[in-house]
Amino acid sequence: MKIRFNRDYLLSLIAVILGLIAGAILMIVTNNNPFEGYNYLFRGGTMNMQRIGNTIATATPLIFAGLSVTFAFRTGLFNIGASGQMLIGGLCATAIALNVSLPKILLLPLMIIVAFIAGGLWGSIAGFLKAKFNVHEVVATIMLNWIAYWTVYYMVPLYLKAEFLETESRRIPSEASLRIEWLRDFFDGSYINLGIVLAIIVAIIVAFILDKTTLGYELKAVGYNRTAAETAGIDVNRNIMLSMGIAGGLAGLAGLSLYAGIATNMQIGVLPMQGFDGIAVSLLGANSPLGVFFAAIFFGLLHSGKGFMTAMTGIPPEIADTIIATIIYFAATSVVVDRFLENRRKRRETK
Amino acid sequence: MKSKKVALILVVFFVTSFVVGCGGGTPAPDPQEPTLRVGMVTDAGTIDDKSFNQGTWEGVLQARDQLGVEIRYLQPSGTTEADYMREIGNLVDAGFNFIVCPGFKFETSIYEAQARYPEAKFVLIDGAPHDGEFNFLVADNTVSIFFAEHESGFLAGLASALQLEEGQAGFIGGMEIPPVQKFNWGFQQGVTYANENYGTDVQVQSQNVIYQGTFDNVAAGQQLAAQMYDRGVDVIFAAAGGVGVGVINEAKSRAAAGDDVWVVGVDVDQYDEGIYRDSESIILTSAMKYIDVAAFDMIEAELNDEFPGGETLFFDATNFGIGIPENNPNLNADVEQETAEVFALVQSGEVVVSDQLGDLIR
Repeated sequence: MKIRFNRDYLLSLIAVILGLIAGAILMIVTNNNPFEGYNYLFRGGTMNMQRIGNTIATATPLIFAGLSVTFAFRTGLFNIGASGQMLIGGLCATAIALNVSLPKILLLPLMIIVAFIAGGLWGSIAGFLKAKFNVHEVVATIMLNWIAYWTVYYMVPLYLKAEFLETESRRIPSEASLRIEWLRDFFDGSYINLGIVLAIIVAIIVAFILDKTTLGYELKAVGYNRTAAETAGIDVNRNIMLSMGIAGGLAGLAGLSLYAGIATNMQIGVLPMQGFDGIAVSLLGANSPLGVFFAAIFFGLLHSGKGFMTAMTGIPPEIADTIIATIIYFAATSVVVDRFLENRRKRRETK
Repeated sequence: MKSKKVALILVVFFVTSFVVGCGGGTPAPDPQEPTLRVGMVTDAGTIDDKSFNQGTWEGVLQARDQLGVEIRYLQPSGTTEADYMREIGNLVDAGFNFIVCPGFKFETSIYEAQARYPEAKFVLIDGAPHDGEFNFLVADNTVSIFFAEHESGFLAGLASALQLEEGQAGFIGGMEIPPVQKFNWGFQQGVTYANENYGTDVQVQSQNVIYQGTFDNVAAGQQLAAQMYDRGVDVIFAAAGGVGVGVINEAKSRAAAGDDVWVVGVDVDQYDEGIYRDSESIILTSAMKYIDVAAFDMIEAELNDEFPGGETLFFDATNFGIGIPENNPNLNADVEQETAEVFALVQSGEVVVSDQLGDLIR
């Protein structure tokens, strides 16, 4: 197991470097200096407290989304529905934030629980369909994304809209926001929020569940070999629903950290990209909670440094987006690198 | 477990050292440089959206060509206040201290930015800065600009009805936000005005007034347009960004097949977007907002030390801030003439176009 982990992180490292090289080539092709570009990209994400805070804050929903994909993946399921689960979790948390008045210390835990349960129920719909009717979860979760998108589209203007605007919810009051004053001041006005603390706690819990509990063992067993797990007396259907439920709940928390932490209200007509980036985060993080954490920080750095790179170098925003996407998708190809190395090893052995 | 940690630290170390190692590069620009550095942050959508972003950017480009300012635009990865604040911060940190932001979505971001970056100046188009609770404040380093979309839509509706003489008109909007709503309401009033004063018979039925709900769903725009044309609508006013592109596409393919269908463009003169054969276009006319002029004017004012900070400006018929294009190859000369006459009446206040729903359709 020890060796396995080392190897996984090495693969991720190679993938990241490949991504950066691919990005550099793109910069050269478009007549820009990659050293300069990466310098400003990195500085844009780290050069002062405010930017460090922004990098961490940008990474927060990605950590949750990455954990969501990882959890499902470790139990043999592919959760492409993190975006939809984020929307539903965020919608319910926003509804609580705007309609319940409690002291912050009680309101935030309530919102966290509601976001988790709402996202979890949404996710377990796909689990139910898989368990009961053998509908593939990839299909179910993609479709549920759009159901969530349109649900938010109709619910926000009906119940949560602001006085003059049809397309956004009211502003979440500061008593219900994950943003807190001293953290904001410490990071010099950044939009960093309590979400990161929650993300760290949740990452530890997820790691614990997966590696140290019977539940985690059973879930993984179903993932490795469904038939064998069934023969061993594990209730496969229950575990599939539970796994999708927990994955959905984690994505629900991603929604909470996005809509009540980074954003200050909920806009309609936007399917959050973090849900999809979460897949790349999970792959780069070698499907382990700790790896997800660092992968998400890396992605946060890319996203928050991008604008500064553009502003300083004249690399057009479209090229900058392409560079970031190239790095991300190369970074997510650690599986391919793995295959490649494996094949070479085998070939050498057969010689 | 220990080796796992070591590996991890190595990952972080390599990544950071690789990136840091790439340092060097050019020194930061000298903020004392005499030329004005003008930045723009785009709203949802791209810089070449044939509409709002592009209109603003063209004004900025014009300023570069004629006034010699340095320009740059940034495209945020999302549409939250945090995304906008981040890009505004990037521009300020890079020395771009004159920032143009198109769209009402910037309202709360500009409210925050105008206080956080007192050395920078902001132009907010189509919105006024507020704190999220609609307590508006235009600070001394900010100008807020509004357009009379209802007057623009009115003129386009009038011209369309005069040209068609009889038939049906429809409206496809993007999101149901104030500027789009005002275009819609103005358009309906324009059609009605033509019917009452010029004896035309053009109807707008309630089923043909639709907000698609996004600004980027091209396929849905095409589908809605197809349904409307099938119901017998002759001209569709599309105030819908990318959805409007779908509407134009549908009209083009029908026109190429010999159908007699039209589209009214929005924000900028969209005639060229509607060309389906040689120089024939399905764009009857366009309900324009001179966003480029507004952006250019503000940059010019800043260079002349006349930046109207703290003010809210209204661009309407009286200051030629709105209108239909100068050349409308698809309108008869007498239609253009009559529209110009009514334009003068709107300017003088004899004809008042309402920016409220009243008893109009949606």
